[in-house]
Amino acid sequence: MSDVTRREMLKGAAALGAAATVPHGLAAPAAAQTTRKRELVVAQGGDISKFDPHFSTSSNDIRVSFNLFDNLVARHPDGKLHPALATEWKLQGPTTWVFKIRQGVRWHNGDPFSSADAAFSLSRTWDPAVRTRVNTVFTTIDRIEAPDAATLVIHTKKPDPLLPARLAFYGGQIVPKKYLEAAGGDAFNAKPVGTGPVRFVSWTKDDKIVLEANGDYWGGKPDFDRMIVRAIPELAPRIAALLKGEVDIITQLPPDHGDRVNANPSTRVVGALYAGLYVLAVNSKVPPLDNPLVKQALSLAVDRELIVKELWRGRGIVPSGPVARGDNHFDTALPALAYNPRAARERLKKAGYRGEEIVIETTSGYTANDKPMSEAIQGMWRDVGVNARVEVLEYSVRAQKNRDRTFKGLWWSDPTSTLSDPDGMFWRLLSPGGPQDYWRHPRFDELGEAARFSVDEKFRGEAYREMTKIFLEHLPWIPVIQPYEDYGLQKHVEWTANPNQQFEIRRFNFRFRRA
Amino acid sequence: MRALFVFVGRRLARALVTVWLVSTVVFVVMRLSGDPVPLLLPPDAPRSEIFRVRAELGLDRPLPVQYGVFLANVARGDFGRSIHFREPAMRVVWGYLPATLELGLTAFGLAVLVAVPVGLLSAVRRNSLVDHATMGLALVGQSAPTFFLGILFILLFSLKAGLLPTSGRGGAAHLVLPALTLGAFAMASVARLTRSAVLEVLGADFVRTARAKGLAERVVVVKHTLKNAALPIVTITGLQLGTLLGGAVVTETVFAWPGIGRLAIQSIYNRDYPIVQCVVFLSALVFIVVNFCLDLVYGLVDPRARPR
Repeated sequence: MSDVTRREMLKGAAALGAAATVPHGLAAPAAAQTTRKRELVVAQGGDISKFDPHFSTSSNDIRVSFNLFDNLVARHPDGKLHPALATEWKLQGPTTWVFKIRQGVRWHNGDPFSSADAAFSLSRTWDPAVRTRVNTVFTTIDRIEAPDAATLVIHTKKPDPLLPARLAFYGGQIVPKKYLEAAGGDAFNAKPVGTGPVRFVSWTKDDKIVLEANGDYWGGKPDFDRMIVRAIPELAPRIAALLKGEVDIITQLPPDHGDRVNANPSTRVVGALYAGLYVLAVNSKVPPLDNPLVKQALSLAVDRELIVKELWRGRGIVPSGPVARGDNHFDTALPALAYNPRAARERLKKAGYRGEEIVIETTSGYTANDKPMSEAIQGMWRDVGVNARVEVLEYSVRAQKNRDRTFKGLWWSDPTSTLSDPDGMFWRLLSPGGPQDYWRHPRFDELGEAARFSVDEKFRGEAYREMTKIFLEHLPWIPVIQPYEDYGLQKHVEWTANPNQQFEIRRFNFRFRRA
Repeated sequence: MRALFVFVGRRLARALVTVWLVSTVVFVVMRLSGDPVPLLLPPDAPRSEIFRVRAELGLDRPLPVQYGVFLANVARGDFGRSIHFREPAMRVVWGYLPATLELGLTAFGLAVLVAVPVGLLSAVRRNSLVDHATMGLALVGQSAPTFFLGILFILLFSLKAGLLPTSGRGGAAHLVLPALTLGAFAMASVARLTRSAVLEVLGADFVRTARAKGLAERVVVVKHTLKNAALPIVTITGLQLGTLLGGAVVTETVFAWPGIGRLAIQSIYNRDYPIVQCVVFLSALVFIVVNFCLDLVYGLVDPRARPR
């Protein structure tokens, strides 16, 4: 990994699939590794909590549910939207979307799939009687019609340019109307039925989930007979299981363990540039963080290049603003956030900063490197004369503070770009009433609202450019890094990771290397 | 016989009070620790949504009312529905019990079958090489942290030697490393205690008498010494059994073993009150039952301990 240069990193997420992460010396023997395995074993850092895709948004759960179920629209590792249960879609008038539904698809229990299932699924997400956990995903939808089995018409309340993108992420998984209505929610959760490439067989909690390949899958049967998802919470045993060959893929591989995986003759690291950012979110209501000059100084004092190099072993890039690389309207002309301790000192002086304490509330291990980065940044801030302190929080305390909006100063946030667009990223979190509503700016709010409901991409692009300018002056977040999400793989596995943590095992992105 | 009934009755009453106290403490501590709802919803869920889910889970009611409902349900064996799994808590915990019993009983078996003979041997061969070696090993077993031992075992026996699986539950091979790791502490303490208990008895007058009578050393050790040294050994093994069956958080986590220790710790992080309450209740129950059995065993081993 160490011989991957920053220039190579910057070529973009799509180009940087498997190949670039393999040291050159290992690329050749990799070709020789083949297998006869008919069983794919995946180990992740925790078990799932439920199968019903409308009742969870946790990453452990969706790694499984995105394979049991399909969405109408799929976002592939290339970052683009592709047909899934809908074969095509188009906008008819500003608020009417027409989706052509794939024909001949069957549920895992043999029932035929139709537009009625799709209409039922989407309506189920906000049905007050069902009480799902994804009832805020489709708030832009006004009503849904299924005029025939092959057509779905969605009317939105206002123009919604991102409806297809919303359908591609959580909340958008399509569930079976007939089975669910007959069996009830609990039975469905215990024995899920989807249309996806794998079928449910069994689940032993905190041990393993057994799935079998769906031979009738519309996207082609995946290249295995069985798929097993194991939960191995501790990192060391998870890596040991990979190195010993007990598992084929491990998730959540921290950057400082990549060398070990690459050095092992039969394994390698594969990653994707995370569709999102790691930022220090700021409570801009408490002094001295209510002063933009102080926040600018804090940002200027962070040596992000050093953090990427030392703490991330080069597995990340320095952000340029609130829009993640790979998203719509990412401005390639914008320079990476600067490191300038002298300018930082000057701004602190200009702001009249008098040594007030600034607290970073960090979790330890919730996101990769959260605590080490906090400590490094604390040191960098102290170097320019900021009285910085780090406090460690347990994750559930953080969740509570997030809800109550009671953070003392700065805290780590890892906003995922759920729609590959600024709207599903910084505007989702920083908009009025959003979970990180600690700062308001009339022009910023006006533009965010207008861009959300405009189908004019040129206008949207301009709006986000102006919002970025306002953002960089006021810094409601201090973006720190856009990291890679790394996985450990056996060399006999060929698989492309998805940047948005969606863990998809389908024919188009997975195969075993056969002799 | 009547004395036995009084004895059992008293123990039962005390056990009930203990279980009630434990349940109450867990109830209060879990509520003090925070709200499960923010952990259930996506981070951008609006506040109205949070209040709705709180009401749905009954968390908006006054604490005394929640407590009353809790006690009434527990009396009927109902611990409520898991917030995290959306299933009855008892059913979830029940599903984890076999793994915990398998691991706990194996570790316990190791502790008894290995540690008692080893302790006995090193006492009889006091200050010999065997004594120094086993007691040195016991010291390591007792002082090395479980996570360190577990990962060391994985590195040595799974990765380097390739003999055993790294983690997970499966056949007998999967059980070896976790049981050794979990049993290390129990084995060490039982072996050390056996040694010192036997040594103490070996110095007693009646042992000297037995030897003076010309009894074979084997008879002296097994019949006269071991029986008299049994009381402390039974006590410590019994306590170890309670601990081993209560779930082993660290061992289960390191070896991805699906037992109730891991369930408990995750449920604490998830603020899954019903599961935590159920696990703690069962663990307390196990301890009480084990202690009760211990008292009965005392009576068997030592006539002086029998209720009169």
